[in-house]
Order: sequence, then C-alpha cells, then structure tokens
Amino acid sequence: MNAQTLDAFQVIADPSRRKMLQLLSKDNMTINALAENFDMSRPAVSKHIKIMYKAGFISITDIGRERYCTLKQDGFNELQDFINYFDKFWTNKLKKLETLLNNRIKENLP
Amino acid sequence: MQKEIKQTWFFKQTPEEVWDYLTKPELIEQWLMKTDLQPVKGYKFRFTFTPKTGSPYDGIVDCEVLEVKPFSKLSYSWNGSSNGGQRTFNSKVEWFLVPKENGTELRLQHNGFLLPEDVLNHTNGWNSCLKRFEEFINTVKI
Repeated sequence: MNAQTLDAFQVIADPSRRKMLQLLSKDNMTINALAENFDMSRPAVSKHIKIMYKAGFISITDIGRERYCTLKQDGFNELQDFINYFDKFWTNKLKKLETLLNNRIKENLP
Repeated sequence: MQKEIKQTWFFKQTPEEVWDYLTKPELIEQWLMKTDLQPVKGYKFRFTFTPKTGSPYDGIVDCEVLEVKPFSKLSYSWNGSSNGGQRTFNSKVEWFLVPKENGTELRLQHNGFLLPEDVLNHTNGWNSCLKRFEEFINTVKI
C-alpha cells in the first residue's frame, strides 16, 4: 500500500495517528501490538505507520520476526521549528510596526 | 515544547491608533502583508505574500474574522496551505490592546497549531507524549 508523504502537521492532524504516537510515548511497541489497540485493518495500521515513519515521527527496528516502532524526535522537531519560525516572523513584523509608529511620532513633532 | 506564541509589545500611540494598524489594509500592508481584511465578524479574507524559492507554501493565508471588540480585541483564524492546495495547518491569531498611561500594550497570541479540538480531549496523553519527548531530547548526548 502506498503511503503519501505528509508534513508534520498533516501527520498529527489524524486522530488515529495521534493515538499511536501517544501509545508509543509510553513504550516501544511492535506493529502487531499497536494494531490491537485499533479497530482497523492491519494494512490500514501499516499505512499510518508508514506515514509517521516517512515524516520522522517514528523509527522501525526489526528484532527477530517482529517489527518494533519507537518514537523519534525529527517529526516533533519539525513542529517546534515551525512554531519557532512563526515566533521570529511576528517579532520581525512587529519591529517593523514599531518603526512605522515611531516615525509617525517624529513626523508629528513641530 | 512550546505550543503557542505569545508576545507583548508597547507602543506610544493610543489603542485607537494601534487598532488602525491592525484593521486597515493599507496600513497592515506596510508592516505585515497584503490583505483584504475587514474588521467584521465572520468576514473571510486573505493575507498574501511571495513565498521563498523552494518553500512548500503557496503564499496565501486563508483567514476568517472570529472576534472584534473595537480598540481592545481582534482575532482571526490563520490557515496556511501548501502548493497542492492541501491545508497544512490551522491556527488562530489574537490581538489584545490594553490602554496604558503613556500608550498601548499590544499582546499577540498565535496558537492552535497542534491542537485541533479532539486533541484537547486527550491533553493528558499528548502532554505525557511531549514530556517523554522532552526527556528523550534531554538525554540524547550530542
């Protein structure tokens, strides 16, 4: 099954994927164990896992016959980077506004 | 993990003057972006910008006015989309204007990035996820 490549926000926009990330936050789990928590087909679970894997939210390790999923920080970093980006964005814009308003005061001086 | 943006600025102008810079397109354009904003609840508008080369975003922020209290509060939704037209984030921008003796305190809150409604019901789970994530980062040796 093909898994699209989604950005970090699209990944966490889905309730099932959020629940999977929550479960994995408690412990590493095999794909089978993870699937037991969901009322969906095994291929559907695999598809979600692929999406999270591609976006850097989890890593997958083969141990014996089992595939283990572990939380990975890259996906979360992308979310944080995005928020940091916007923080800087607003700082820059509001500095501009400050300059504009300060100039206005000077223009109005006699 | 920081989930929202909060900034506080002080300007020497009155709230009425600062309000103009938040609500009049010809003034907003001078410091923020091109827009057709009207301070009317429910009004749908856009901010437009020229995306940097290679940026996945298409230069359009779709917004809707959520709340208008003249000279004291303005909020709008802030929804970005990428080239495919897929919505990639929904968020909310709120402006608070507080009159002060010598001017106006302007507070900005930009939040909602991570939290579509149903996540709020799972706050505990999500918090523990992020907490573990923080611990994870902190224990990784560089």
